[in-house]
Amino acid sequence: MIPVFDTSCPVAGRSGEPVGAKLAAGTRPRIAIFSLTGCEGCSLAILELENELLDVLGAVDIVNFREGMSERDWNIDIGFVDGAVSTPHDEAQLRRLRECCKTLVAIGSCACLGGVNTLKNAQPQNEYRGYVYGEAARHFPTADARPLSAFVPIDHELPGCPLVREEFLRFVKCLLGGRPFRLPSYPVCVECKRRGNLCSYERGQICLGPLTRGGCDAICPSYGRACDGCRGVVSNEALKAFGRNMRTQYDVSLSDVLERLRLFGAFQESALP
Amino acid sequence: MLDGIISHQELLRRIDALRVERRLIGPVARVEPECMPPVRYFYQPVERADELALDFTYCVQSPKAVLLPPAEPLLRFDRESGKFRAGPVIDHTPTALIGVHPCDVHAIELLDAVFSNGNADGHYLARRRSLFIVAVDCPEPCTEGVFCRDMETHETDRGFDVILYRLDADRRYGVVFASDAGRAWLNPSLSSGGMRTPNSDDERTFIRYRQNKERAFEPRLPMPRRELPEMMARSYDSLLWEATAQRCYSCGSCNLACPTCYCFDIRDENELNGGGCRLREWDACMARDFALVAGGHNFRAKPGQRLRHRLYRKAAWIEAQTGLHGCVGCARCDRACTAKISIVEMLGQLAEEVQHAGTRP
Amino acid sequence: MRARDPETRRPADTTDFPYSIYLPEAARVLNVNPMTELDSLFELELESGRALGHAPGQFVQVSVFGFGECPISISSSPTRGPRFELSIRRVGEVTNALHRLRSGDSVGIRGPLGHGFDVRELHGHDMLVIAGGCALAPARSLIQYVLDERQRFGSFHVLYGARSPNELLFRDELARWGQRDDVHCHVIVDHADESWRGRAGVVTKLFDELPELDRERTMVAVIGPPIMFRFVMLEVLALGIPQNHVYCSIERRMKCGIGKCGHCQANDVYVCMEGPVFKYGRLKALREAIE
Repeated sequence: MIPVFDTSCPVAGRSGEPVGAKLAAGTRPRIAIFSLTGCEGCSLAILELENELLDVLGAVDIVNFREGMSERDWNIDIGFVDGAVSTPHDEAQLRRLRECCKTLVAIGSCACLGGVNTLKNAQPQNEYRGYVYGEAARHFPTADARPLSAFVPIDHELPGCPLVREEFLRFVKCLLGGRPFRLPSYPVCVECKRRGNLCSYERGQICLGPLTRGGCDAICPSYGRACDGCRGVVSNEALKAFGRNMRTQYDVSLSDVLERLRLFGAFQESALP
Repeated sequence: MLDGIISHQELLRRIDALRVERRLIGPVARVEPECMPPVRYFYQPVERADELALDFTYCVQSPKAVLLPPAEPLLRFDRESGKFRAGPVIDHTPTALIGVHPCDVHAIELLDAVFSNGNADGHYLARRRSLFIVAVDCPEPCTEGVFCRDMETHETDRGFDVILYRLDADRRYGVVFASDAGRAWLNPSLSSGGMRTPNSDDERTFIRYRQNKERAFEPRLPMPRRELPEMMARSYDSLLWEATAQRCYSCGSCNLACPTCYCFDIRDENELNGGGCRLREWDACMARDFALVAGGHNFRAKPGQRLRHRLYRKAAWIEAQTGLHGCVGCARCDRACTAKISIVEMLGQLAEEVQHAGTRP
Repeated sequence: MRARDPETRRPADTTDFPYSIYLPEAARVLNVNPMTELDSLFELELESGRALGHAPGQFVQVSVFGFGECPISISSSPTRGPRFELSIRRVGEVTNALHRLRSGDSVGIRGPLGHGFDVRELHGHDMLVIAGGCALAPARSLIQYVLDERQRFGSFHVLYGARSPNELLFRDELARWGQRDDVHCHVIVDHADESWRGRAGVVTKLFDELPELDRERTMVAVIGPPIMFRFVMLEVLALGIPQNHVYCSIERRMKCGIGKCGHCQANDVYVCMEGPVFKYGRLKALREAIE
């Protein structure tokens, strides 16, 4: 039997509080976007909100955003952070952000789950340090990659590789409209069926859609690619059922299942808070 | 009794004529090299009749989405300083749905009943009233695993405007009308070579067609449909619900693929300017939070309870409420379930349990 | 094959459709009175001036556009004129938004919905109302009705239990009812504090306050959380009251409120249509209703 951990976005939508509850009434939210270890693709994805970006910018003050501006300001209402904590420097920066930001939001699979960074956790540290940093390796201290919630309390998580732009927008609308924000509690299959897709399993693919949190509008299956679970496991029950079904219905071994889930850190024991 | 005989060419011509006033939706073949057989059919909007695959086996998704879209705005609203303005969004785009198998015709009949009974739902009815339905009969089961014969939905004589019977290999169709609109569309008196009134040879062919069809469909359930409610009534406390549900993801794929599942959620979608839409979206009684109330109590918290609820609806409750089929035997749920939980298998297992339990408790 | 039916069974052309059954009508918030930390009493009036026309036990769907819609039982009696009251607990997105409203703001109202108490069937009877927790909100509609139409009823008993003194709803009214001699109102809390002068324990303890009831003349209404039903029903049945004299009101997730969306089902029953008030005899056949 699979050892089961609830690795699925542990803070996702747990509080029913409006997103902007900590804002002073009538003020424009002061927003910042930061990156730890990762490709910063999630920050870029926000810039790609081409149709809505100007409306968003009209309603908030962006005070700190490396991908988009040069000024810096540390009086922050909402801080969005992409990337995993992968070095002592990341950790120190994250702790500082927790202090500067009234509300801290993890964006993307790396920040929420550890993401692809966690692949290194299975390898000996001196090996990967060697081939990542070469001869200068000793100047670059590093550690296992972990999600933000392993270090500091996180208020909201917007998982996905990259983050889902529409979901980010929905979050911002909740923020501006004084509404609580929750991630979907259903798996990818729901949106996949609503889109009328042919099930990946009919193509003989092993898709992680049934146990992965929805909200991405099933983008990968819609383009013929099986889900790889970048939004994390939706529930322990689904994870258990998946292990059972793979073994009994598909003759797929436990280790193969876990291997698939490890890609984005959706199943990563060391990533647990 | 047939109302007419039409050639394939003439049929396509008449469908193209429909296109003038209606959008066309029907089965379209898509090559899927990794599937066996390597083709799948989907209901899609088309511009021309020859894009349609009228000899389709089954469509992956039912035509439910044409009448009850996966997401549709019910209301549009604007808000300003504590006040609101709201108005309905009604869609009555004239549409022709070409190529509906009898099982799905039965399913549409159920949706009609649900959305017109008691509190009429204008959003559904506006769309339904704008819909012209051309059914296509199945001479044989469309694929393995269907149990429409058991549910008595492998044939139909109502709920459509026109039904077509493919009488022979050179794609000659027998035609039966069920509405004036259908009759007006294919009126045999406007015969143009391809459409004519049936003769006695045609009627004999039709009788043979029906005899062959009777032989082609075999029962798959161990009991007739009318005995299902009784069997279900004696299965409420079966261990099978919990046991089978251990494999269930609570993903709702069975519900969403089902042509007779109509449950929905309503939520508000906001725009940045304060306006927005009140949306209706397909929901699934197998989803974990379906019966969750605001206070935090979940009235069907366990997957086994949800599985039982779904099967009771399909095999007993919907029919008790509406007098219509709660399940049409299309087996889309079985195909959609990646955990390979099968409604046919479950009904068989329950029947076996009840049999072993002997006579009535 | 079945005999041919010439009718297509297409739904009849009954209405024209600039109309949506999901479109609420506007109601003005007249007053908001906090009752507990989480509950406030909202006094509302339809902007059309129309009376709601409800029966005790019915509910409305309340909209705050942008947040959504939620089912709220009506707390006031139809005998109190066109204004109506809703006791709203701040537990979800919509109810939180409702709590931020001020008098003069508008909400959307659909209803009255569902099946309430058939008051004509209650006329001429003794009444026993048992409520638990925030279910005093729907019970109050019935209690007010009985008080307003007092001459139509015999003896009148109200038993109410809440978790703690500061979770009691309608405290002023409870005090007033306690002083009247035409209603016997008893209140109990699970967890007493130093301010509490009354009894402590579960609501079933209050049954020892009841005089001997006329079994044939007494009608009973039980309204409360799922956990309460079983224990209260044991007491009620032990009194020897016929099952068809017992009404229960149950909670479910009403979403559409018109018997379509499926969320409120208890077994084969749409609670929003057949309920939320049921005769006990009907309810006990619904395995999911009382567990």
